[in-house]
Amino acid sequence: MKTIELQINGSTHEVSIEADETLLQVLRNRLDLTGTKKGCDSGGCGCCSVQVDGKVVYSCMMYAAGAAGKAITTIEGLGGGGTALDPLQQAFIDAGAVQCGYCTCGMIMNASELLATTKNPGEDQIRHAIAGNLCRCTGYTKIVDAIKLAAARTGG
Amino acid sequence: MSLIGTSPERPDAFDKVTGGKAFPVNVKVPGMLHAKLLRSPYPHARILRIDTSAAEKLPGVKAVLVPSEVPKRKFTPVYFVPTDAGSMVQDMLIMSDTVRFAGQPVAAVAATSLRIAEQAIELIEVEYEELPTVFDPEEAMQPGAPQLHEHAPNNVAVNPVIGFGDLDKGFAEADYIFEGVYSSHRVHTCYMEPRVCIVDCDRQGNFTVHSSTQHLFGVREKLAYALEIPESKVRVIKAPYIGGGFGGKLDIGYIEPIAALLSRKTGRPVRIEQTRYEDFITTARHPIKVYLKTGVKKDGTFTARHARSILDTGAHATHGAEVINVHGVFGLLMTYRCPNSKWEGYTVYTNNMIGGGYRGYGSPQACFAAESQIDEICEQLKLDPIEFRRKNAWHAGEPHPMVPGVTLDSYAFDECLQSGAERIGWSQRKKADSGSGTKKRGMGFACQPLWVSGCVGFPDIYEHSGAIIKLNVDGTADLAIATMDIGSGQTTTLCQIAAEELGLPMEAVRMVQNSDTTTVPVDAPTHASRATYSAGNAVQAAARTVRERLLKVAGIMLDINPEQLAVANGRVSVKADPKRSLSVAEVVTRAESPFVQHGKNGPAPTTLEEKGTIIGVSSLAPKSNPSPVSVEFVEVEVDTETGQVQVLRVVYAHDLGKLIHRNGAEGQVEGGFQQGMGYALMENLLFDPVSGSCLAGDFLDYKIPTAVEMPRDIQSIFIESNEPSGPFGAKSLSEPCITVPAPAIANAIYNAIGVRIRELPITPEKILAALGKL
Repeated sequence: MKTIELQINGSTHEVSIEADETLLQVLRNRLDLTGTKKGCDSGGCGCCSVQVDGKVVYSCMMYAAGAAGKAITTIEGLGGGGTALDPLQQAFIDAGAVQCGYCTCGMIMNASELLATTKNPGEDQIRHAIAGNLCRCTGYTKIVDAIKLAAARTGG
Repeated sequence: MSLIGTSPERPDAFDKVTGGKAFPVNVKVPGMLHAKLLRSPYPHARILRIDTSAAEKLPGVKAVLVPSEVPKRKFTPVYFVPTDAGSMVQDMLIMSDTVRFAGQPVAAVAATSLRIAEQAIELIEVEYEELPTVFDPEEAMQPGAPQLHEHAPNNVAVNPVIGFGDLDKGFAEADYIFEGVYSSHRVHTCYMEPRVCIVDCDRQGNFTVHSSTQHLFGVREKLAYALEIPESKVRVIKAPYIGGGFGGKLDIGYIEPIAALLSRKTGRPVRIEQTRYEDFITTARHPIKVYLKTGVKKDGTFTARHARSILDTGAHATHGAEVINVHGVFGLLMTYRCPNSKWEGYTVYTNNMIGGGYRGYGSPQACFAAESQIDEICEQLKLDPIEFRRKNAWHAGEPHPMVPGVTLDSYAFDECLQSGAERIGWSQRKKADSGSGTKKRGMGFACQPLWVSGCVGFPDIYEHSGAIIKLNVDGTADLAIATMDIGSGQTTTLCQIAAEELGLPMEAVRMVQNSDTTTVPVDAPTHASRATYSAGNAVQAAARTVRERLLKVAGIMLDINPEQLAVANGRVSVKADPKRSLSVAEVVTRAESPFVQHGKNGPAPTTLEEKGTIIGVSSLAPKSNPSPVSVEFVEVEVDTETGQVQVLRVVYAHDLGKLIHRNGAEGQVEGGFQQGMGYALMENLLFDPVSGSCLAGDFLDYKIPTAVEMPRDIQSIFIESNEPSGPFGAKSLSEPCITVPAPAIANAIYNAIGVRIRELPITPEKILAALGKL
């Protein structure tokens, strides 16, 4: 076991881990940040997407130790917490982009990076941006609608 | 009606976009152990010896379980049938010393951490005697093939044969006879939340279970049966969310009974979560090969149809014993009118993984065969494919061809055909292979003319639901029901139906979280497209009881006959004088008050008649089993240089009786198309032909459509035929959405390039080979 410091959603967490633990394992099992989901544990579904220094990563493919000293954002930190929502979260509700909801948090974390870097993404840009996040319920139609809606609401 | 047909916000949406806490995968129980299964590397073998001594010595290991320790009563794991149902095959044990597929569990370890459990199973030594294998179901039926089960000569688990009329006469009357072989492959539901369970056994042998499941009461029944204990010893807690099911969580896995036995051994809760690889080899849609022979008159009237279906059920019968019937009856025999028909089904054991439930339950395999062949017939005889189907179709008002005593009260096939054709621009369709250039476009369509809204009328299948609704003093209602929301929005639509019936705003009705099998009425699974119709009927019935009692109390308060009262928007008012009204909160407060109610007008005595919680309970099976109808038109573009197929446009028309939640219904269509398109073009769960091992470990090996491959334009047309037996006129939606895409795409590909592919999936390789380019 070794102890590392993780900066998550603006707070510092000191956590004792095995050297080979992934960021996903630490978030879910040691810190109870269960918004980040495990879908495949092999970098293929995107359910575990979080942001590290503003970039989306599959947290199942990153050692937790490698994230030390970096700014980690999970779904729990998006929109500032509490009852306030990030425009993407509100748009996912309004567009009906949520069915079972298991992919939703990863999908939003990914879309959040897109909207942070691209002011008014086109449909193709949106679809390519979320191509690493699988959803089995929605056929993606309303997820794409939600991202467009959030982009429009945040000023395009 | 104010709420029905609108799209109120899903009650679960806020939590799901902010973290989604209430999935079974998130459940933790104090003191919980983690277990891991050791799985056989061989597809057919006898276990000669298991040595667990090294594993048991590993610090942190609390228990090891081997086949000799499990109960010996064989069972079927399928939830929606009685475990000893005669129509099913009881051929499974929790663990067996005979291995019949690569990946079958042969031992399990519970430890204080997952890491230790994983290390421990590596320390278990198993000595196997390998047995001869068979992976092809038609080879398995041949004399001399390796036999998987003593009770099944030639490896045939079940062999239903159904027919009517005179087949020879029908083929003799035909002007043309068409024959084809249509085959389908193994695909996985790909629910995103893995199968997971926690089972906690107390010192008196009572089990408490959390499971990612589609059927609360199914877990109770199957677990109790497999463990040979009374059902009341098992309590299953309902998870508010399930991360997808699609039929893939319709049977007890190996994990629940193994966790239960490990918990009994250790006295501690035991958690098992499957890896994605384990999920891939747990359930899949069965490959079915269909030999289809059809006789038609020159004008396109069916005279005779004969089909043989060979279903690969893998190592155990489980769902294969029922899928074969749904496939044959709803997919092949009864979809259209034909006076002389015969169908033979074979559910065949092989050393492949066990097949399971998957949305459509045998109909996608049948629909691909039947609707492809109809397209071939129309093409060759130059008949209009829309008119052809209309000519052979059933009509509203006729007796249901499959369900005794049920009439097709609502049945709008014509409207689906017509509105879909108009929307896609069917009249603009060109002749097959008439495009120029390397990229060619084509249009096609397919139908699911007959389907179910649950299982009323079918032997051996549970079909009832029950609900409890209770009003609160703040004017809200709590709805408790066992129906699992597997993502398709059952919580939303059931709250919506309750709100509409009670005259409350949507947000005033809450689904009770974490009901369990001791507190809510028995409910059949969320399957068979049944939840809106069947559970919806139960919710409406409970809500009617609540409303009646609400109006009775209000009538006493307003000194008026309850029949002269109405409730809407949270207020009870006199119909003839709406200004005389009370809020629902005031009425409920009155009913819940002590013998003297202290209000703004001072103390007021209440009567016994007013007193008591306003609550309604129902438990019922629906009166009917109305058939939805669906038609899907697609336009595709085929790249004749690469063999790639792109779906450009989709128009889906469906008679669902009455639309309850528009956004949710569209979501079913769009998500159904994703699964159907994956089935048609790309998904394929592959196995090593020698070792029998699954070659897909994750989504890098098993490709499902991403947002990029999906068509940009999917349009849903909902035909409202107002089913008299349904809640507010509703019948069902879900499964036909996934059944029709594969044949619609296959027919469109034919229209684009003039070649017919009869074997799914239609990969670029197959297209190039058919074009003579490989």
